[in-house]
Amino acid sequence: MRKLLIMALKEVRLAFRDVGALVTMLVTPLALTLAFGAAFGASGSAVLTDIPVLVLDQDQGAMADQLVDILQSDSVGELLAVEMVQDDAAARARVDADAVAALVTIPSGFTDRSFPLLSRVQEQVDVDLLSLDPEQAESQLTPEQQRDIAILYTQLENDPQEDPITIEIFASADRPISVGVVKGLVSQVLEQLHMTTQGISNILAALTTITTQQQGGMQNMARLMTTAGEEAMTDVGVDDLPVKLRVVSPSGRPFSWLNYSATSMAVLFLMFAVTSGGRTLLAERQGGTLPRLLVSPTPALTILIGKMGGIVLTGMLQVLVLWGATTLIGAYWGDPFGVLLAIVSLVLSATGVGALISAWSQTPGQAGAIGTMITLIGSGISGSFFPRSGLPSWLQSLSLLMPNAWGIEIFSRLQLGKSVSDILPWLGGLLLLTIAYYTAAAFGFRRQFD
Amino acid sequence: MALVEVRNLVKQYTAGGPNAVDDVSFEIQAGEIFSLLGPNGAGKTTTISMISTLLRPTSGAITVNGCDVLGDPMGVRRSIGVVPQDLALYDELSARENLRFWGEMRGLHGDGLKQEIDEKLRLMDLTNRAADRVKTFSGGMKRRLNLAVGLLGNPPLVMLDEPTVAIDPQSRRYILDWVKDMNTKGLTVLYTTHYMEEAQELSHRIGIIDQGKLIAIGALEELTRLVGEHETLILTLYQESGGTQLAEAVAGLEGILQASAHDGEVVLNVASAETALPTALGQASLLGLSVRTIEIREPNLETVFLHLTGRALRD
Repeated sequence: MRKLLIMALKEVRLAFRDVGALVTMLVTPLALTLAFGAAFGASGSAVLTDIPVLVLDQDQGAMADQLVDILQSDSVGELLAVEMVQDDAAARARVDADAVAALVTIPSGFTDRSFPLLSRVQEQVDVDLLSLDPEQAESQLTPEQQRDIAILYTQLENDPQEDPITIEIFASADRPISVGVVKGLVSQVLEQLHMTTQGISNILAALTTITTQQQGGMQNMARLMTTAGEEAMTDVGVDDLPVKLRVVSPSGRPFSWLNYSATSMAVLFLMFAVTSGGRTLLAERQGGTLPRLLVSPTPALTILIGKMGGIVLTGMLQVLVLWGATTLIGAYWGDPFGVLLAIVSLVLSATGVGALISAWSQTPGQAGAIGTMITLIGSGISGSFFPRSGLPSWLQSLSLLMPNAWGIEIFSRLQLGKSVSDILPWLGGLLLLTIAYYTAAAFGFRRQFD
Repeated sequence: MALVEVRNLVKQYTAGGPNAVDDVSFEIQAGEIFSLLGPNGAGKTTTISMISTLLRPTSGAITVNGCDVLGDPMGVRRSIGVVPQDLALYDELSARENLRFWGEMRGLHGDGLKQEIDEKLRLMDLTNRAADRVKTFSGGMKRRLNLAVGLLGNPPLVMLDEPTVAIDPQSRRYILDWVKDMNTKGLTVLYTTHYMEEAQELSHRIGIIDQGKLIAIGALEELTRLVGEHETLILTLYQESGGTQLAEAVAGLEGILQASAHDGEVVLNVASAETALPTALGQASLLGLSVRTIEIREPNLETVFLHLTGRALRD
């Protein structure tokens, strides 16, 4: 046991004294995390089509109709495949099962809160403000209607300001890019609606001014209303929206590219580090230190386990440092206990890949080339650069041969607020894969050591 | 009882392939410097690898300090120190860290290990560089540290596998003197080399190995006696390519027992240099070859090897 620990600590010491290895293990993944985080911020988008989206309209008001109409219109028709639903629980279950990318819930009171004047004018004056054309207001509104609208407008202006209402996007954890697209589109539609309502409000403000001051006639009013409408079109910003968007995952935490990049880059560069660590076994053989170890009074198994233990320890330190560093820049990895479990499982498994490559390679160069190839291809299909959900299903299945895919899936779930018990099946799958790696590696090592 | 006993040792790397070591038997007595002398590829390293438990013999038996290499490999490993031909050190660790690591791998620890590290650093004149990383060392310093690692734990037997290959003359001299010095302090040494001069200078007994077979064994005097009263005549030619031609021409002529050529040198094993020299010069003249130098040597290991194999040691 003592020799095993000495072997392992020697590996850690050698790894952390190698400047090149430190750059690969720590500096590069941190830099890439920062770059991805800066590029995509807290969400992301990509070009996709026919993203399956459910819309639950709990409002049934005019503004909600407008929103649904736009989401179903030809302008966004290629991007979204919208399905209207009535049952909230059933819809959420479909998102949970990853059958659809998201559920957009338009809350009850949406129309009233996003454009309060609309329903009051509709009810009390029998005028549909959304169909009001500023340039033809003269022919559309009678003097009585103008007066009544002005009164309602003044009343509303004096009402206390209410908090913005929130549209919830209940998002699939497995489709972060699709969810990003949905969020972007809904946000755009809301801005568009807000520009319209703001324009109308400005027209009504002008109408109120004219009516109360008894100045000019309808001609003057039309001019003021047109100007007010144009001003509204240029003044609207996202921050002005009376409606807020909130993306929640089935577990309640939002998807973030910074979080995703932090863990996916850590997994990618862990793979580089451990496959490179595995290669050192062959390098030690070639350099003569392994034969020297084998003629020391230390069992070969102790040497092998000690060496692998050192690589595991190095990998764990690497991921722990990255966890700490990325947390400092704002990334969230999930429940600490779950993260620790995930790190231990992932590092053990990744080291298994390194061991497997070393066990069946002849030279350090060969192991290096195979390791780089496996790491890059494996990372490409396992979600290190972009989520696996964007890949064909057969490739998604194939990626499960790599610990990267399991690691990223586990971390994604933890980041979205899942508990340790939720990730246990994934940890179990990773464990089985790890056993398979070490078994195959053991045959290779046995062949080498004989 | 011998410290090392090797009996009918055979190593075949591939089933049905040639024997890298072929029925080799010898003993090494405690306190002895025993050299295995032979050209590259003769089987020296394979033999030493089997004795050190690194390679499993195809057949035969080896015991070291009473321990069988197959039955009690740990006992063998505790009894030996190995200094490999290539430097087996960690460049990123300091000299002291290397010694500590290798010492711990031998089961040493605590104050005992610390004292031994200090002693080895002093012995190898590396105390001032103890904290420096090995990658900053010169080749000679690395060689000395490599030797020091082999001595950790003060094993009764140290095996040095061609320790002077590719090093400068000063370092070579240092190693040879060190081996002799350690031997006077009771260390038993198994030394492999393809340098005849080293084997001659160091060894109490020498085993000559060629193509996997141990072709002669004994003290220097015993080996040279095998050649009889023969002398070695070495002719250096101006025409390097003519050596083989001249060796073939003189082979079998009266008084010339054996002839071989290498890099423009013709090595002749002769009964008498006085009578053989005119014959050799005459043949060179006939072939249009010009002789640059003539050297006459008393019987030595080169002569013995030539006598036994028909080839020069460095062929």
